[in-house]
Amino acid sequence: MSTALLDESSRANSSDGPWAVETHGLTKRFGDNTAVNDVELLVPRGCAFGYLGPNGAGKTTLIRVLLGLTHADAGTMSLLGVPVPRQRDIALARVGAIVDEPRFHGHLTGRQNLQILAAARERAARDRIDSSLDRVGMTHRANDRVSKYSMGMRQRLGVAACLLGDPQLLILDEPMNGLDPAGMHEMRDMIKSLVAEGRTVMLSSHLLDEVERTCDAVAIVDNGKVIRQGPIAELLAGAAMEVHVGCSSPDGARTILATTALGEKIDVEESGLSIHLPSGTGRDAIAEINRLLVEGGIAVYRLEEIQVSLESWFLQVTSRLGDSA
Amino acid sequence: MTTAPATAAPTDRMSANRVSRDRRGSWIPTGSMIGTRIMELRKRRGLMAALIVVNIGVPTIFLLVRLIAHAVAPKSYGPAGGYDIFTALVAGVMYVFGFIIAATLGCTAGSVDLTEGMFRHLVITGRSRLALYFARIPAGLAIIVPMVAVGFTIVCAVCVFAAPTKLVYDGINVPPGLSLTSLESWAAQHSKEVDCGFNYNGPVGISIPCYVNQHGKVVIPPGTPGFTHISTTKLKAEAVAIAKQDYANYSSTFLYPSDLLMIKTGLWIELEAIIGFVVGLGLASLMGQRTVSVVLMIVLELILTPLFSHAAIPHLINAQRGLVGLATAHLEPGGLPQVFGGGGGGGGGGGVAHLVPESTTVAVVVIIAWLVGWTALGAWRMSRRDA
Repeated sequence: MSTALLDESSRANSSDGPWAVETHGLTKRFGDNTAVNDVELLVPRGCAFGYLGPNGAGKTTLIRVLLGLTHADAGTMSLLGVPVPRQRDIALARVGAIVDEPRFHGHLTGRQNLQILAAARERAARDRIDSSLDRVGMTHRANDRVSKYSMGMRQRLGVAACLLGDPQLLILDEPMNGLDPAGMHEMRDMIKSLVAEGRTVMLSSHLLDEVERTCDAVAIVDNGKVIRQGPIAELLAGAAMEVHVGCSSPDGARTILATTALGEKIDVEESGLSIHLPSGTGRDAIAEINRLLVEGGIAVYRLEEIQVSLESWFLQVTSRLGDSA
Repeated sequence: MTTAPATAAPTDRMSANRVSRDRRGSWIPTGSMIGTRIMELRKRRGLMAALIVVNIGVPTIFLLVRLIAHAVAPKSYGPAGGYDIFTALVAGVMYVFGFIIAATLGCTAGSVDLTEGMFRHLVITGRSRLALYFARIPAGLAIIVPMVAVGFTIVCAVCVFAAPTKLVYDGINVPPGLSLTSLESWAAQHSKEVDCGFNYNGPVGISIPCYVNQHGKVVIPPGTPGFTHISTTKLKAEAVAIAKQDYANYSSTFLYPSDLLMIKTGLWIELEAIIGFVVGLGLASLMGQRTVSVVLMIVLELILTPLFSHAAIPHLINAQRGLVGLATAHLEPGGLPQVFGGGGGGGGGGGVAHLVPESTTVAVVVIIAWLVGWTALGAWRMSRRDA
């Protein structure tokens, strides 16, 4: 069992600006389809950053462009402050990544696959093979052929491959794929430990719950464009709010609120009301609802602010974009 | 997976200096990259088995069967080795199949990283794509060249050490390595065998009624019409004339291949294998898949090259000269039968007379162009390809 902590000198070496990933106007087209559309992305150093989007939103394409797996049609980008693709070799020396489903030579063992990858890195990478395998819990299967591995084991081997370079930045594309609940839990813990060591983890996933539990900040991408980004707490604070009201007369309460700005969207339920408040609404609105109802002669038994989850917020912002289109 | 505190932390810190030290952007592959590529290819059991069977197994089994047969029934089965067996194996089997198997290895080396998803991992290391490509060339050659050498060495060893002890020329035991004068002298002493056994044509030759008795001796039956008119002196003179006429063929018939011929042939076979590997590597890298590339290489070697090496098409003759197979056929060492089923050779002097004409210089240029061209194409594609 081992983990690595980025020491202070390393942090100093890597502090070429505050961003682990920085893109400006990044664009990638496939014929008429613009998969990455003028993306402005800023991933802070030393955090777990979620990169979210519906299927086909361009998440993997952006990662492929960042890693030099395919070229960009326009825009600029840098990894750890190093411009790519101009200094790609320097930038990627400090990056580990899994893109799509991790695949390896099936006729070789996990260890032999890592030996091939370590040979393409610096000399010290060879010495990290054992510790990397240990860290992802693959030591006992390291000498089995990869063709006998499950999807989850290949996923772990992919993470081990990422760790060979002792990376400052890890870009993980759907790392939870193929993992069982215990494996997902371990992966989540490992991501947190990597961040605790001072590394940056950029996590692309469609598992919003996992991202919410793992990441500090997110970017939402839709139709190739980043439509929101920032710390999760700040983003959710600006999301639409929902208030449940338990009262003596739900219909009467609705009538009272309908005449105000707070009553744009109200669902009447048997025991009360469900009031959807627009994004940006402050918590004072809840007190205002209480005041209006009490002054209108409605007995208020309960007022509950429903915490917006990342998932519901994600659906709000992506569907809103769809509506406007 | 564990998240325990560090006990054996990877301590090497990332910096631009570290990258510049390992020359990650350089197009030159490192020794460890080449070493791991060799491992990757060597661990492909099916491919390695095919390589061994074709390059070593087939000639070894063929020679082993001949050795056993000769040991069991030496009168019925000739010696396992010898010059003729050497030339037939080299030009008939090792040349063509060595190329195909080397091409298969090249196509595998050029495509499996793509098809098995490893190319992406390798690109993400930041290593130059050209270095990733060029690492495959010495890796593949480190496998195919020794393998061809082993097979060829076995053939040479058996052909030399199990060669016939007597030279059989036109069905007659003749001492090997005679000079023209010595052969004439020998022919005079064995005039009946020479007159009756050696092939001859032209002004030399008289109608000699020959007959082989129950002891295998050549005799001229007494009382045969016309025989009384041929004196012993005349028979000897005819034998000497026939020997002189046959000397060219005789002098290119050996008990076993000479050292020089074996060295030249070995290098020629290796050249063919290297070409097969490098072209296969470039083609597969260009196409991104193995099967179609292998099929194309087989078509090139077994169909296109034999077809366009023998039939000179006036308007296409320069294109024909651009065939790498024709170029290597022109570099074939003298004394071997012509490749691609052209006949001749084998001491018969047929050589490469039936091939589309091409100078040695042009042949060398064509070979270099193929090696450089396909390497450049493969490298270009791998450096541009989406991973």
